[in-house]
Amino acid sequence: MEVKILAFGKIADVTGQKEWKWQDIADTTALRKKLEQEFPALQTMKYQLAVNKKLANAEVGLENDAEVALLPPYSGG
Amino acid sequence: MKEKKKRNSFREGAIPAAFIGEAIAKHSSKTEIGAHSIFLGQVRNDIIEGKEVKAIEYTAYAEMAEEAIYTIREDAFSKYQLTCMHIYHSLGRVATGEICLFVFTSSKHRRDAIDACNEIVERIKKEVPVWGKELFEDDTSVWKVNT
Repeated sequence: MEVKILAFGKIADVTGQKEWKWQDIADTTALRKKLEQEFPALQTMKYQLAVNKKLANAEVGLENDAEVALLPPYSGG
Repeated sequence: MKEKKKRNSFREGAIPAAFIGEAIAKHSSKTEIGAHSIFLGQVRNDIIEGKEVKAIEYTAYAEMAEEAIYTIREDAFSKYQLTCMHIYHSLGRVATGEICLFVFTSSKHRRDAIDACNEIVERIKKEVPVWGKELFEDDTSVWKVNT
């Protein structure tokens, strides 16, 4: 299975890419762990995950083709 | 899945003053309205570490942002007695002194228009996935933090 990851704002500066795919990630806890291994700067940054455009505050399982967005604190307006 | 009326609340670049004027003029035929409330967000020339902000460049998680605005809109219509409501937010580059957010509520009486407008603005800042990058004259930048 494959999930699509989207990075925004300050987080995209750290990841160096705005969109990519990763294989075989069971849930949002596993995803955060992998993200923070690949991009250690994320360990000290504040960000939320949205799975298929819904904020995932608790652990959420990831289905094939899920879209997970990495959202730093909003600064619109 | 709930049927959602798709609107586009986002505009590329600044929101022109003429657009705001026309939006007001369009309401003259709605004679049941007794009060309008308008909020305009303008890009400010903050000084950050000695450098002056020249513009803000906005990006959004577009689909989620539209859904968030839709929710804010529906909540305001159920909570307040509103005749109509318009929300426009800029994307891309907006220079200091230009308008980047336009919220416009109309009601029979002032209290609903004013309270709804305030609440919508506060919720846009908290709940809509939009990010502003403050750009300086020397081509450096910093991500904006909302207060």
